[in-house]
Formats: sequence, C-alpha cells, structure tokens
Amino acid sequence: MDGTLTFLGLESSCDDTAAAVVRAGPEGAVILSSVVAGQDALHAAFGGVVPEIAARAHAERIDLCVEQALEQAGLPLAAMDGIAVTAGPGLIGGVLAAVMCAKGLSAATGLPLVGVNHLAGHALTPRLTDALAFPYLMLLVSGGHCQFLLVEGVDRFRRLGGTIDDAPGEAFDKTAKLLGLPQPGGPAVEAEAAQGDARRFAFPRPLLDRPGCDLSFSGLKTALLRARDAVIAARGGIPVQDRRDLCAGFQAAVADVLAEKSRRALVECPGITGFAVAGGVAANATLRGRLMAVAAAAGVPFLAPPLRLCTDNAAMIAWAGIERFRAGLTDDLALSARPRWPLDSTAPALLGSGKKGAKA
Amino acid sequence: MPPETVLAFDTSAAHCAAALLLPDGRCLTRNEAMTKGQAERLMSLLADLLAEAGLGWSALSRIGVGTGPGNFTGIRISVAAARGLAVGLGIPAIGVGRLEAMAHGLPRPLVVAEAARSGEIWVQAFTHTPGELVVLDDAGLRAAYDGWAATGSAAVATGGQLLAPAMPLAEATARIAATRLPGARPAPIYLRPADAAPPSDPPPLILP
Repeated sequence: MDGTLTFLGLESSCDDTAAAVVRAGPEGAVILSSVVAGQDALHAAFGGVVPEIAARAHAERIDLCVEQALEQAGLPLAAMDGIAVTAGPGLIGGVLAAVMCAKGLSAATGLPLVGVNHLAGHALTPRLTDALAFPYLMLLVSGGHCQFLLVEGVDRFRRLGGTIDDAPGEAFDKTAKLLGLPQPGGPAVEAEAAQGDARRFAFPRPLLDRPGCDLSFSGLKTALLRARDAVIAARGGIPVQDRRDLCAGFQAAVADVLAEKSRRALVECPGITGFAVAGGVAANATLRGRLMAVAAAAGVPFLAPPLRLCTDNAAMIAWAGIERFRAGLTDDLALSARPRWPLDSTAPALLGSGKKGAKA
Repeated sequence: MPPETVLAFDTSAAHCAAALLLPDGRCLTRNEAMTKGQAERLMSLLADLLAEAGLGWSALSRIGVGTGPGNFTGIRISVAAARGLAVGLGIPAIGVGRLEAMAHGLPRPLVVAEAARSGEIWVQAFTHTPGELVVLDDAGLRAAYDGWAATGSAAVATGGQLLAPAMPLAEATARIAATRLPGARPAPIYLRPADAAPPSDPPPLILP
C-alpha cells in the first residue's frame, strides 16, 4: 500500500455528461481518462439549456460514458478504489442521473461512494493539475457561476463575494444572442471584440463603486440591449463594425469589473499560494490577460488549468472524490442530489431561494 | 431458459416499489408510498429485499426496471439506477412498461387505462400481443374500447368489466423481465416531448 488511489468520477449537473478515471499516488495525480459528451446540438434550437432535455440525455448516456472512461483507462471497475459523483448544485433532473447511476455502481461493487459538490470540483482542480497547496484564491467564472473562494482545505471554502444576479458566461451568451452571433456566446463575442473599438460605446461597470467583492452583470446586459436598440433605430440594422464595437465595449466592461474585484479579493487574502481561475469564461484571452496582470501586481502566482479541466468534466469530480476520501469523507447509498448547495455555508445567500438556475 | 434471479423496481409514481424474483418462482415484494424521496430510499429498499432473501448483489442474474409512463424524474431515478447496477454487476437490465406490468397475469383481451394529468389517459390494449401505447381522453377511450374488460385508474370509462391487478407492480415487472430477451438498455417512456419553446425574439438584421 503506497497510498495510491484510483477513482471513477461521474458528472451530469448541467449540459455535459461526463465520466473519468483519475489515479493519485505519491508521484502526483494522473488523469487516466476523461470522457465528456456535450449536448450543444440538443439545446441549440432553444437558445439555452433546457433542463428536461438535459435530464433525458443524461439518464441514457451516463452509463455509456462510464464504460467509455473505464475502457479508455484500460481498467475494470474492480480496479477502482471508489466512485465520486456530482451531487449538486445544478439542474436537479440531470444531477439525479449520475447520482443514481453511481449508487448502482457502488451497490454492485461495494466500492465507497463519495458525493462531490460541483463547485468544489472546480475549486480543487488546481491541486489536480499543479498540486497547489492550501490556501489559495479561486475565481470561478462560468455560464452558471461567478464567485471568489478562499480555498483553505478539502472541505473548507470561504466565499469572499459572488454575483448577485447573472454569471458572466450568461451575459456573454445573451450578448451573442442580441447581436445575432452563434452560441455559446463567449468565443463569438471575443472574436468580434478583437476587431472592435472598446471606447466607442460606454457601458457601466456594475458595483465597482461599492466596497467588497460582489459582482453584478444584469445591468450590463440591459445596457448592451439599449445600445443595440439605439443602433438599430438609427441604422435599420446593426452594421458589422458596430457589432464589433459593441462586443469590444461589453467585454472591456466585464474585464474591468473582474480585474478590480480580483484585486480586492487578493488584498483580503494575505499569505495565499496562488490565484487560480476556472470556468469557461477563463478561456477568454482578454479576461485572462487582465487577471494575470492583477495577480502579477499582487505578487501572487497565477494559475489557469487547461480549458478541458476548466469547463465541466468528471476528472475534477474524481479528483475531489479522492481528496474527500483521503479526508475520511464518504457517503452512503441515501446520498441526496441537491439543486442548491453553497460551498460556504456561513456566507449569506446571494440569490433569493426562489430563483431558478444552477447558481448557488 | 434457465431460471433467473431478478431484482426489479419502479418509481414511476408516488411510490418506491421493488420485487425480488427467486429461481424457484417465489417473489418477495416491497411497496412504500411516497411522493418524494425515492432517490434516497431506493437502494436501501433493494438491499433490504436482498437481505430478507439472504442474498448478495452478486446473486442477481437480471435487473428489471419500470420505464413508465409516469413521473419523468421518478422514471429516470429507477432507469439510471438500473443501468448503473447492470454495468456494475455485468448483467442485463431490462425495461418493462408500466401498463404492460399492470396487464401481467390478467385475462385477454384487456385494455389498461391509467389516468395521466389534465384529463389525459394512457391506454394500451392487450390481445395476443401488446398493442401500441397511446394517449386518449375519456371519450376517445370509450369510443375505442367500449365494453372491454379493463384495469387501471381510468378503466371505468370503457363500461366493461373492471379488473384489479393480478399482482403488485414490481412483481409483474420482475416476472416480465425474467422471460424477456435482453435487448437495448432500458429507456424512459415519456410520450411527450420536453416542454421547450424556441426563443421568441428574432435575431437582428446585420448590415454589411
């Protein structure tokens, strides 16, 4: 026994069905396989993720992903030391698919079951990729989430701030939709912005005038809609250069907000080992550049895991499962799927409990 | 066909139901009424059944699972668990429709009529072979199956003889699964597309 652990991970909390095998030993962690079956095509006609469509797909794909992940890892289920599954937060119908599949696998094999918070999966990824030591600052920024977390331990997260309404990824998607660009909106808006003039349209920097690390992106979305409608009223449509300028202005506003709030979060976290960013929005080169500069100015190492580990995947769930298992944290077959599950139970809720969505 | 040891379960409505069919034909069943909590209860209910028979999971040769129609989330809970168990045990999982399970063991011809929501009725006729599963309203059911012997919560509409189920739902699911040739993996029967509408606001006109 050299302490090596091999875990199967399952994930189905939004619109990616995923399974992965991760092995962790004294030499560090290795991802033996990571299968992600996306659902973009299923949701494309509806302009966003439809929960019922996602749940239907997950229920009939998750076991197939598990088999693929084991096959690619070249290992039988019996070679696993445990099964980790995202138990929330997320679209509950989808979360249930992987949770029930994992329970079936666990009951059948007698392997330990570990329920993982999806956000913890993201937040612990820098330890999978770079063996980053606690404590570190994490900015989780995606289509469903936006929050600053001080990661102090496997099960110790302190939320320094987060969005009080939309996530930036949602704002990018909405911007793309309003401007006739394809989904997902992030890459499309970034490409247009690269040829645009960010100074032509003035956009607000929400909550920058308030202290703290909370963010807001809903007003920015509205401002973009107003600017777009003004262009359409004046020109009868959106000239391509106007579209580029709108994208550039919007992206610059998001970058300013994230950079300034990151600076403040870093001030609140003396003695950290690094500033890590995860989530699909971290793929945006402009935003990433700004965050790197903020970290450099604070004298803190900057870390962004590769994109395939920044967006939804099951390798991070398997890894978080290993971390929890090592800490003695396992679950039984009564494990609940949770639509909302804040990582930091001490911080006040940012969103009303009646609000729909995958945020927590 | 060699005798099978089948563990079957159904969470397609306000219950958590399970049955363990043994090679000698005996069948142990459990049925707990619940409107929620099936996802938490299901596995321990199954473990209880196995313990009662003094068997371990590895004694099973088949999984039977109710595929609905019914509550979408409820069906998915059982289907996903069944598929996970099947992969974990290396045995087939076999999907059984709720209406064919309700018909199991009853004389034919028979129509199964189960009330769905908002006046809709799930209807399936059984003669020598099962008919197609369709959605009708009360008048449609009477018009199509006037005077037929019937079972199910909407059976009275046929005006024919009313029959009680021959056995608990999960037992019927197990018995059907025991004799059915393994095929495609179990999948929920929805009968309705997902509620989703394309976005109403058209994209803007882009000028050169």
